[in-house]
Amino acid sequence: MPRRRANNTHEDDEPSHDDQVGDQYDGYESNGGRHVSMKRKRRDGEGEEEEEEEEDDEYDNDEEEDYCRRKRRSSVRDFLDDIAAEADSGEDEDDEDDAEDGFIDDDVTELLKENKGRMPRRPFLPTEDDQDDVEEMARRIEEKYGSLSRPEQYDEGYGEETTHVEQQALLPSVRDPKLWLVKCEIGHEREAAVCLMQKSIDRTELQISSAIALDNLKNYIYIEAQKEAHVMEACKGLRYLNPKKIMIVPLKEMAGVLSVKSKPVDISKDTWIRMKIGTYKGDLAKVTDVDDMQQRVTVKLVPRIDLQELADKLAGVEFVKKAFVPPPRLINIIEVREKNIHVERKRDPFTGEYFEKIAGMMFKDGFLYKSVSMKSISYHNIQPSFDELERFLRPGENGDGNFSNSLLSGDTKTEHFSKGDKVLVVSGDLKNMRGIVEKVEDEYACIRPDIKDLPETLTFNVKDLSKFFETGDHVKVVSGTQEGATGMVTKVEGRVLVIVSDASMEEIRVFAHCVMKSSEVTSTNNGNKDYQLHDLVLLNDSSFGIIIRVDGKAYQVLKGTPERAEIEVLMYRDINSKIEKMGTTEDRFRNRISVKDIARIVEGPFKGKQGPVEHIYKQTVFIHDRKNIDHGGFFCVKAKSCTLLGGLYARGDIRGGVMDSRVSSLRSLACIPRSPGRPQIRRDERRYQSGRRGHDSIVGTMVKICKGHYKGSRGRVVDIKGQSVRIELESQMRIVTVGRSEISDKVNVTTPGCDAPLYGLGSETPMRVHDSMREPGTPFHDGMRTPMRNWAWHPYASISPARDSFSLASQLERAASPASGWASRNCSAPGTPRESRTHANSANIMRSPPLLVASGMILIAAT
Amino acid sequence: MGSAPAQIPTSFGHELRACLRCRLVKTYDQFRESGCENCPFFKMDEDHERVVDCTTANFNGIISVMDPTRSWAARWLRIGRFVPGCYTLAVSEALPEDLQVL
Repeated sequence: MPRRRANNTHEDDEPSHDDQVGDQYDGYESNGGRHVSMKRKRRDGEGEEEEEEEEDDEYDNDEEEDYCRRKRRSSVRDFLDDIAAEADSGEDEDDEDDAEDGFIDDDVTELLKENKGRMPRRPFLPTEDDQDDVEEMARRIEEKYGSLSRPEQYDEGYGEETTHVEQQALLPSVRDPKLWLVKCEIGHEREAAVCLMQKSIDRTELQISSAIALDNLKNYIYIEAQKEAHVMEACKGLRYLNPKKIMIVPLKEMAGVLSVKSKPVDISKDTWIRMKIGTYKGDLAKVTDVDDMQQRVTVKLVPRIDLQELADKLAGVEFVKKAFVPPPRLINIIEVREKNIHVERKRDPFTGEYFEKIAGMMFKDGFLYKSVSMKSISYHNIQPSFDELERFLRPGENGDGNFSNSLLSGDTKTEHFSKGDKVLVVSGDLKNMRGIVEKVEDEYACIRPDIKDLPETLTFNVKDLSKFFETGDHVKVVSGTQEGATGMVTKVEGRVLVIVSDASMEEIRVFAHCVMKSSEVTSTNNGNKDYQLHDLVLLNDSSFGIIIRVDGKAYQVLKGTPERAEIEVLMYRDINSKIEKMGTTEDRFRNRISVKDIARIVEGPFKGKQGPVEHIYKQTVFIHDRKNIDHGGFFCVKAKSCTLLGGLYARGDIRGGVMDSRVSSLRSLACIPRSPGRPQIRRDERRYQSGRRGHDSIVGTMVKICKGHYKGSRGRVVDIKGQSVRIELESQMRIVTVGRSEISDKVNVTTPGCDAPLYGLGSETPMRVHDSMREPGTPFHDGMRTPMRNWAWHPYASISPARDSFSLASQLERAASPASGWASRNCSAPGTPRESRTHANSANIMRSPPLLVASGMILIAAT
Repeated sequence: MGSAPAQIPTSFGHELRACLRCRLVKTYDQFRESGCENCPFFKMDEDHERVVDCTTANFNGIISVMDPTRSWAARWLRIGRFVPGCYTLAVSEALPEDLQVL
């Protein structure tokens, strides 16, 4: 055999040999050309491997023998047979003489010592014959190829180098057993795999080759077998496996199954992490200690502890666990002691530091130190925000140094450089050199240094650079909470810049890597969640005001202090909420003022000014005077110091106070039962009704549109022009024009009723009365309609002069606020019948008798 | 199945450890008692410290190899020459230097 081998080194060696031999990389010219060519040839034929390796030792021996025969390596001689002849003679002896195992072992260990990681299949150094030469050659070879070693398994028979090529050779073929995906009970995948192992030991006829349970694939395991029947047989009797749910894995995906790459667990000290569970979920934390054995880390957190709750709990007082999480706040030992919570000073055995132990939790410097498992934290891509870092680092740490370290460690990835940025080199030989960015390409930036002596542009990795700003630079914040703000740098503190914002004129602190040099100036910013200009807002300190300017994130608010213009610049967070309520209030003369009414100031510092009312809140009225440019033209006054333009008073003095007071009181009373849904605009609209349609018109009446686009809507007639009628739709705040023929007087109101008969009478005045009575609310309708029917006409019929007064009244009504007219009309109607009406009426009723007389007189007098 | 199979892990908790060289999975106690069947030279059964050095609890996935010679998966993972038993797909640590020469 050896002879043969010596002769035909090309042919007879088994392929398996190749693997071991061939697993060495291509350049493995251990024994010269002959071997190389041998190997090359054989490598092509690599198919199944690792299966036969019986002749390991023998082969090794032979090769080494052959090797030692040759005095020099010559590629040409490789192909010559003369060597073979020589070998014949010597080989046998060697073969028999050598104690193969010992031989090999020696060499192996020797080589291993020299060349760690190398897996020599054939020892180079024969202990006999020409040892020196051979050794020399071996050494040479090792020098040459030693660097190519890999730290893998070393022991003979096991060392298979994991190059990509070899791995490719191991791809499954059709002859290999197939992978079957089997449904498994969740959480028991490992158990199932191990049970299968046990089962196969117990019963030898189990024909599956392996069972795989992947950590990241829940609910399934893979079983490797030639046939599905084998898999089903294996699953029998195993509770966790479902033999009905077996799927085959296609050949091409088999390798993918086993190519799971586990992510390296590289949490180290002082890394930033975020908690995933518990009360501190989502909070930033810093790792102080890593315990690989137990897979736990100790982290430092800003505590979220409610001291009162803790005290209660410790005292044994019953308490209800609050649903919300307390805000993060550093622990103050003194506070804790005040609450009589026991504080114990403990020394940590591992680090030697002192901790305060409160209720089983460890604190130091105000922070909570907690031991958590690695599974409950997330450590990838943690970007601490400015606020969080500040909270963490503020106590006891100077802002500059530590800020920069922690920032540089985590956040340099987010720095974006652009052309023209001023940068500072922070690491490397050229540290502290300044320059301007000329060009940026992926990871490298070309800088033109400030120093003249250096060449034009130098290229740096972006990690070595950091943006650099000087006071006086105009910058814009491009990331973080202050995004979008622009301003001028007033101070540079290490990595933190103090910027005076253009918009809000306040100082903001940002990290240098969040800003960019820019000449933009932001003035307004209106996000969806933000408050809009001219909103009435409630502030955190329970005061209120109107926003008169929005600058970036800052709001300029005119506070609701009458007689005094008080402006405050606030941030979004200072504003509690927007006041949506449309209040109404009374002016000096008890006219009702609502939003959009025009009011005039009659006393106080703003006397003489007038303008539409923008907001009303708690007896304070905000008026917008367009002529005034102060504070956006807004000012606020007490309601009592202004009067409604077009209010009763303003119309004329004849009415006098009496009427006013009564009328206004009536009006106010009348307002009470107003159904809330009614828009106030109604009144305004009434007021705006242009005059004097003294004739019977439907102006001011509720009508229903029965034809056209707006069919079905109800509305109040505002104006009539010939055949077309302008109607203010009840449903929309719009005035539309429809043809006269398209409207119907029949308006169905909420309470069914007596419209028809009333209208049937054809008189419009009563309708109008009816309307007005109806207007304030349902009870009115109910209460008044029926009796109205009975009583209405009589008085109307009888009081003909009253009709005139009605017209006056209607004028009044239109000119003044609607309720006054209403009131006057009501007055003219007999009061008595209404006594029995609803409460809403009662107010009128109470007054009616005297009012009737009084107003009647007045009205008549006024005519 | 020729060779005697390795011990099967008796529990699934934190004691499970994988040999860094051959990736055999057993419990700490099993390693301490009978060492690693594929790597007897580690002598874990004699030197208990060795168990901690040569094995790790940081591993990913389990494969039960019943027939290493025939299994494609075992071959792919290069455990085809080891005894049948429970192995892991990947370990997160490398064998320490001094133990590599054994």
